[in-house]
Amino acid sequence: MRAPGDLTVRVPEAAGELPTPPREHPEEPAAENELFMHLEPDQFVVETSRPVMRARLNRRAIAALWALRVFAVAVSAMVIYTFVSQLH
Amino acid sequence: MAATQATRAPVLLPPAVTPQDAARSSDRSRVHHARLGGRRWSLLWLLVGPGILAMLGENDGPSMIAYASDGAQYGIGFFVPFIPVLFAMAFVCQEMCMRVGAVTHRGYGELVLQRFGPVWGWFAAGDLTLTNLVTLVAEFVSIRVGLAYFHMGPVVAVALGLVLVVFTFSGGRYWRWERIVLGMALFNGLFLAAAILVKPHVGAIAGSLDFSPFPGGSFNTLLLLLASTIGATVTPWMIFFQQGASADKGMTPRDINHGRYDTAVGALLAAIFGVGALIAGAALLTHGGAGIQGFTGAAFPDALRRVAGGAAGAVFALGLIEAGAVAILTISASTAYAAAECVGVAHSFNSSPRQAGLFYAANFGIALVAALVILIPGAPLLAIALNANVLATVLLPVSLVFMVMLANDSGLMGRFANRRSTNAIGISVIAFVGVCGAAYGIDSFLLATHVIG
Repeated sequence: MRAPGDLTVRVPEAAGELPTPPREHPEEPAAENELFMHLEPDQFVVETSRPVMRARLNRRAIAALWALRVFAVAVSAMVIYTFVSQLH
Repeated sequence: MAATQATRAPVLLPPAVTPQDAARSSDRSRVHHARLGGRRWSLLWLLVGPGILAMLGENDGPSMIAYASDGAQYGIGFFVPFIPVLFAMAFVCQEMCMRVGAVTHRGYGELVLQRFGPVWGWFAAGDLTLTNLVTLVAEFVSIRVGLAYFHMGPVVAVALGLVLVVFTFSGGRYWRWERIVLGMALFNGLFLAAAILVKPHVGAIAGSLDFSPFPGGSFNTLLLLLASTIGATVTPWMIFFQQGASADKGMTPRDINHGRYDTAVGALLAAIFGVGALIAGAALLTHGGAGIQGFTGAAFPDALRRVAGGAAGAVFALGLIEAGAVAILTISASTAYAAAECVGVAHSFNSSPRQAGLFYAANFGIALVAALVILIPGAPLLAIALNANVLATVLLPVSLVFMVMLANDSGLMGRFANRRSTNAIGISVIAFVGVCGAAYGIDSFLLATHVIG
């Protein structure tokens, strides 16, 4: 049964890539169909495999990100240098 | 007309379904039925996991040694309230990760790579791999130290860590992996048991809640304490892990409140157990405790045994084994999520090793490399353990900035994007972590190069 407002997707057995075991009682709804009703449409692997659009960053944001990156690398290098010098 | 409508029902047409979808959908069906049946506790049980694992995973070997060292050197004053404050900061960061994962169904690595470009994605993955490798070495050191208390050698530590990684893979299900690690993570409470066994003065603990006395010592030592304590609470791997695990678990926007409970409970437990390690370590303060360096490594459980009895030492040693083991599993998983997400291949515990070869190879591979390092004779293991948290603190602000940007991205998050108050707290956390990490890095460098005395 589908709850009111439920946005999940019904998956006919023929479309799936999974092998479908033979049914003993064809008149009953297939258990595997019922199972896929509980994933949201954008939750399927085929949907999440599609890349999201690139964000448009302005120049200031890009410059700030690069500044932060350079700073983090520089401080990391200092920490590693200190670590190595303390070993000797 | 009816026939036309029937043929125009694209919403009912299925996407291609993979075994990963099947496994995730099976988990989601239980959530669905618990929600429909109004079974609150069952729903909570089904939805907790990533938050508790991220928080208790961060109560890892080097973190617990850092807390205990704080206690041994400075006592419990200042740190008893400071540790919960840090975990409150961690909650703010991790709640964002959970929310982004639940809304986008994607991991942090792939979102950064796709949204901001491959350069930033690979930088993030590179940072993570570096800090994770160093931290994983420290985790194996932690297991080795714990086992050494019971007269077992490094080979046993390596075997234990690697067998656990492989064992949790079996079954090809996220749910199974999560529940095994969750069960193990609850033994982080051993540090609370150790705190009780040292019979602390309750009045002294209550009196320390006013952040006093402030730790003394040199400026550099204070910065080291701050940087390593922050690094013991919030790290880059937690960001990759919780977002990736939330997506892998199949969380949706409807689950965000439960995700918050999960993260809050994790932060609360981690803070309590972290304070437990601090109090256990503080038992050494009044018994001629030495400096931080002296208490790392095998000396800690032994020192505790001498001042508080064999039970306290044994429980602390077992806690170190647990902390290291759980962290190996969660940190390796975060590496696997990052590597497979950035390459763009299957990245789920709901896939079999054959379907997600790179994911499982990265998961086991980084643990294997770290394990091999601790078998190298004469390797500076204790120095690595000490510096692991500091390196994580230095690289954390970059990861946090992208996290805040993603959580603010209305194109991705819609009405679930950050509020102003969340942004204000998040940016304050980034600034605090950045200043502490950078101050320690620069001051230590200037001391090491004798620019300042």
